[in-house]
Amino acid sequence: MLGKRFALQGVLVAALGLVTGTASADGISIPHAVHKLKNGMTVILSEDHSLPLVAVNVSYNVGSRFEANKRTGFAHLFEHLMFMGTKRAPTGAFDQWMEATGGSNNAWTSEDRTDYFDVGPKTILPLLLWLEADRLRDLGPLMTKKKVDAQREVVRNERRQTGENTPYGKVEFRLPELLYPEGHPYHHPVIGSHEDLEAATVEDVKEFFATWYDPANASLVVAGDFGQAETLDRIKSYFESIPSRGAPKDPKAPGFPEGASTLKSVVRETLEDEVELPKVIMAWQTPKHFGPGDGELDLLGNVLSGGKASRLYKALVYEQKIAQSVEAVQQSGTLGSRFVVGVLARPGVPLERIEKAIDAELQRVRTKPVSAEELTRVKNVVETDFVARLEGVQQRASILNMYQAEVGTPDYAERDLERYRKATADGIRAVAEQWLRPDARVILRVVPKGKKP
Amino acid sequence: MTFKYAKHALLLATVLSTACGGETAETKPPAVAPPKPAPATPPAAEADPLGPRPNVDAPPPFTPPAPTVFRTANGMTVWLLERHALPMVAIDVALPIGSTSDPAGEGGLAWATASMLDEGAGSRGALDLARAIDQLGATLGATAGTDRSGVSLFVLKRNLGPAFDLLADVVTRPRFDATEWKRVHELWTNDLKSRTREPRAVASVVASAALYGADQPYGHPVSGTLASAAKIDLARVKRFYQANWRPDQATLVAVGDVTRAELTAALDKAFAGWKAPAGPAAKVAPLAEPKGARGRLIVVDRADAPQSQITIVRPGPTVADPDAVVAGRANIALGGSFTSRLNLDLREEHGWTYGAGSRVSTMRQAGTIGLSSAVHTENTGDAVKAMLNDAEVYATKGLTPAEVDLTRMMARVDVVQAYEHVASTATLLGNDAALGLPATYEAEAALRRDSATKADLDRVAQRYFHPKDAIVVIVGPQAKVLSQLAQVEGLPKPEFFDAEGNPRAAK
Repeated sequence: MLGKRFALQGVLVAALGLVTGTASADGISIPHAVHKLKNGMTVILSEDHSLPLVAVNVSYNVGSRFEANKRTGFAHLFEHLMFMGTKRAPTGAFDQWMEATGGSNNAWTSEDRTDYFDVGPKTILPLLLWLEADRLRDLGPLMTKKKVDAQREVVRNERRQTGENTPYGKVEFRLPELLYPEGHPYHHPVIGSHEDLEAATVEDVKEFFATWYDPANASLVVAGDFGQAETLDRIKSYFESIPSRGAPKDPKAPGFPEGASTLKSVVRETLEDEVELPKVIMAWQTPKHFGPGDGELDLLGNVLSGGKASRLYKALVYEQKIAQSVEAVQQSGTLGSRFVVGVLARPGVPLERIEKAIDAELQRVRTKPVSAEELTRVKNVVETDFVARLEGVQQRASILNMYQAEVGTPDYAERDLERYRKATADGIRAVAEQWLRPDARVILRVVPKGKKP
Repeated sequence: MTFKYAKHALLLATVLSTACGGETAETKPPAVAPPKPAPATPPAAEADPLGPRPNVDAPPPFTPPAPTVFRTANGMTVWLLERHALPMVAIDVALPIGSTSDPAGEGGLAWATASMLDEGAGSRGALDLARAIDQLGATLGATAGTDRSGVSLFVLKRNLGPAFDLLADVVTRPRFDATEWKRVHELWTNDLKSRTREPRAVASVVASAALYGADQPYGHPVSGTLASAAKIDLARVKRFYQANWRPDQATLVAVGDVTRAELTAALDKAFAGWKAPAGPAAKVAPLAEPKGARGRLIVVDRADAPQSQITIVRPGPTVADPDAVVAGRANIALGGSFTSRLNLDLREEHGWTYGAGSRVSTMRQAGTIGLSSAVHTENTGDAVKAMLNDAEVYATKGLTPAEVDLTRMMARVDVVQAYEHVASTATLLGNDAALGLPATYEAEAALRRDSATKADLDRVAQRYFHPKDAIVVIVGPQAKVLSQLAQVEGLPKPEFFDAEGNPRAAK
C-alpha cells in the first residue's frame, strides 16, 4: 500500500550530470507515496530521516482568481481567518500550542492557490495533523464579526507595509489591472483593495469556507522524519470523516482564450511614488505554468538578467551605464503567466532611453538564437537552483503540493527538470518572438513624486 | 503563483546594520495574556471524531556537530563539516574584519573592498568571471558585515574543482581594475541614495548612529553613507585589502559532500600561493561604551507615509557574554515568535500592524536589543506606548512558566533547522570563526541555551530588555505623529534626524 520509497540520494542524482553541457540521463524524483481518502482528499507522504524534523503542507485549490465581484482580497483575508479558532482550538491556540511544542507555521495565497504549512520537531506531527483537521472540519461556521474585523485590520496593514509604504510597491497593485482586462480572474491584485476588504462580511466568510475549504479541494503533504503506516492511519482517523460536497468547479477564465494574450496594443501608465530612481516595468501575458514555452521563458529570464554576463545587465548596467539594476522573470500561473522586465534608471537618465535599450535587447532575443555557451550557462544555473530547492523538508512538501495542484500528480520533478534540459536556443527565440511582442504589452513607469509629466 | 502574502510578517528584518553576531535570535513564545487553554474534550453528546488534543513528546536531543579543524601550509584555518546526503557543497571564507575596521569618516570601506573582489580576479575580467561561475551553475558572492568579511560559494559537488579555483582567484587575486571601480562606486552611491527612501533601512541607519555615535565602530552603516562613500577611492580599497585579507586571518568553512582529502587537495592547488604579509594583522579599535543610551526620541520625517516605522534600541550582550545565548532564548517570548508578547499585543489584539517583534544582535564588541514594528500612522503613539510597556513588564516581572517551556522548545528546533541547508550552516559557522569563537561553539551554546532556568532567563530579561533609556526612532509623517508621541508618558522631547543619521533642525 505504501508503495515506493526512494533513498533521498535518489532525489538529486540529476545534478551530477550538470557540467558544461553534458546532460545526464539520470532521473530525479522526490520520494513520496500518494493516497486518496474516501472524501476525495489527496494525501502525499514523503519520508526522509536526515534530520528530526517534519513538515506539513495543506494546499487548497482556491486563490484570488476565485473571488466574487467586489470581494477582491478575500481569499487572502480568508487565509488569515484560518487561524482564528474553533471550539477545540480557540482563537490564538493554533499558534500557541504549536509554538509551545517547538513548531511554527505560516501560509500564503496566490492568484491560484492557498497554502498552509507547519514545521517542527518530529514529535510534533500528531498535533500538526490534529490542528489542520480541526480547522478544516469546523472553522467556517464559527466565524464572527470580531474575528473578521481583527484580521481585516492586520491585512490592511499588510497592504500598507508591503505595498504602499515600500518603494515601487504600488506596481504590484496596478500591474494586474493593466495587464488583464476587466472580468479576467487575474485582473485584480491578490491582496485586494481597502474598499473591498472593508466590505467583507461574516456571511461571505462562511460561504467561502463552505465552497472552497472542502477535503476534495485539498491536498495534504507530510515530509520529513516520520513512519508512513502510522501516519497514514492517523491522517485517516482525523480527516476521512470530514464530509465533502465534492470538489467545487474551478471557474477558470470564462470568456478569455487559453494560450493567447488578451493584450492587443501597448498599454502605458505612469505612477508617482516615494522613490529615488525612476523605473520602467514591461509586462506581457505568457503561457501558463508547465505550458509550452513556460520553461523557455524561465531560461530567457535568466539570459536577460541572471548575473553580470546576462544580456540586459551587460548592456544597460555594465556597458551603457544607464541602469542601476535589471530584472526579467517569468511569473508562472495556472491560467497563464506573465513575463516582467523591470529596469531601474540611473540618476538623470530619461526612461525613453531605458526603454529603447531594453527594446534593442528584446529584439535581439526575438530574432537570433542565444549562443550555445549562454544556453549551457542558464541551464546550469536553473538546474542547480532546482536541485537546491529540494534541500529542506518544508520546500519539498511545498513543491510536491505545487505539482499536485498544477498537473494533478506530485510525481513531476523529473519532467519539470526535463523542460529545461530539452530547451533549445531556437526554441527560446521562437517563444520570445511569439509572446514578447513589442506592440502588445504593458509599459508602466514609476517616477519620484512630483515628477509625473 | 509568485506573490505570496504571508500571514506572519517576517519577524523583523535587521534592526541594526547587518550584524554578524553569533546569536541573532529573531525567533520565537507566549504572551502578555496567553490564550486560555481550551477544554481538551469539548462537552458533546457524540464522540469527537478528532479525539483529545494529542500530547507531544519532548523532541529528541540534538547536539550541533562540531566541524573538523585543521590548518593549511600557508596558515589558513579550515573548518570542515561533512554532509554526504546531497551532492552539494557550501563554502564560506571568513575574515574577522568588517565595518568596525573602517577608518573614521570612511564608513563602508570594508564593504566596498569586499564588493570589488568578484569584479575581475586572476586571469578573468568582471564579465568573464561572472560567466565562468554561472557556467558551473555555482553562486559566489563577497560581502562584509560589522565584524566580518567573507566570500561564499555554493556549488554541486561535481563542479567543486573548477569552482574552487574561481573562489581562490576572488579571495587571493582580485584585480581592482579602475574601470570596474568607477562603475561599482557609482552603483554604490545610487543605492545609498535609494536607501533614504526605505523606511526600515532608514530606521536602522538612524538607530545605529544614535546608539553608538556616528563616529564609533558600530555607529555607521556597513555600506557607509553618501558622505563617507564620496571619500573612498580605489587606492584606499587596495590598501585595505592588502592589510586585512590575509591567510593567517582567514577561516575557510566547508559544509557538504566533500572529504578532508578532497578539500586538502583543492586547497593545496588553489590557495597555496596566498601568503600573509610580514608583520601582524591590524587590530580593531576598541569601542567606547555606547553613548547613545540616554533615553531619546528621534523622528525622521517621511511625509504622507501611511505607516510609521518604529524602532526601539538599547545595548545588549556582546557575543562573548555567556548571557548572549540566554538573551537570544528570552527574546523568543518578547518578540521573536508569532505568539510573542509584542506580536500578540500590537497585531492580534489591536490590529495596528502586520507584525511586531524584537531581536538580539550580538557583535564582537557590542550588542543590541531592538524592537520594531511598522504601524498604521494613526496608531503610532499607542504602539510606541505598548511596546515600551510590554518590554518593561517583561523585564521587571520575567517570563511566565509557559514562556520558559516554550522558549526551550522553540530554541531547540531552531538549532536543528539551522543545520538543514548546507549554505546556511556554512554561513553560521563562518560567523563563528570570524568572531573568534571555537569550532565547538554551537554545541556549547545549544547546551547553555537549552539548560537555562527561569531564574537565568528572568535575570537576563531584567538586565537586557528593560526599555528605560532606550532610543525610540520613528520614521513617519512628522506632522501626524508628533502630537501622538507627545501623549506617551515618559518620552523625552523629540530630536530630528535626516535619513543618513545626521541631526537636523525641526522642519
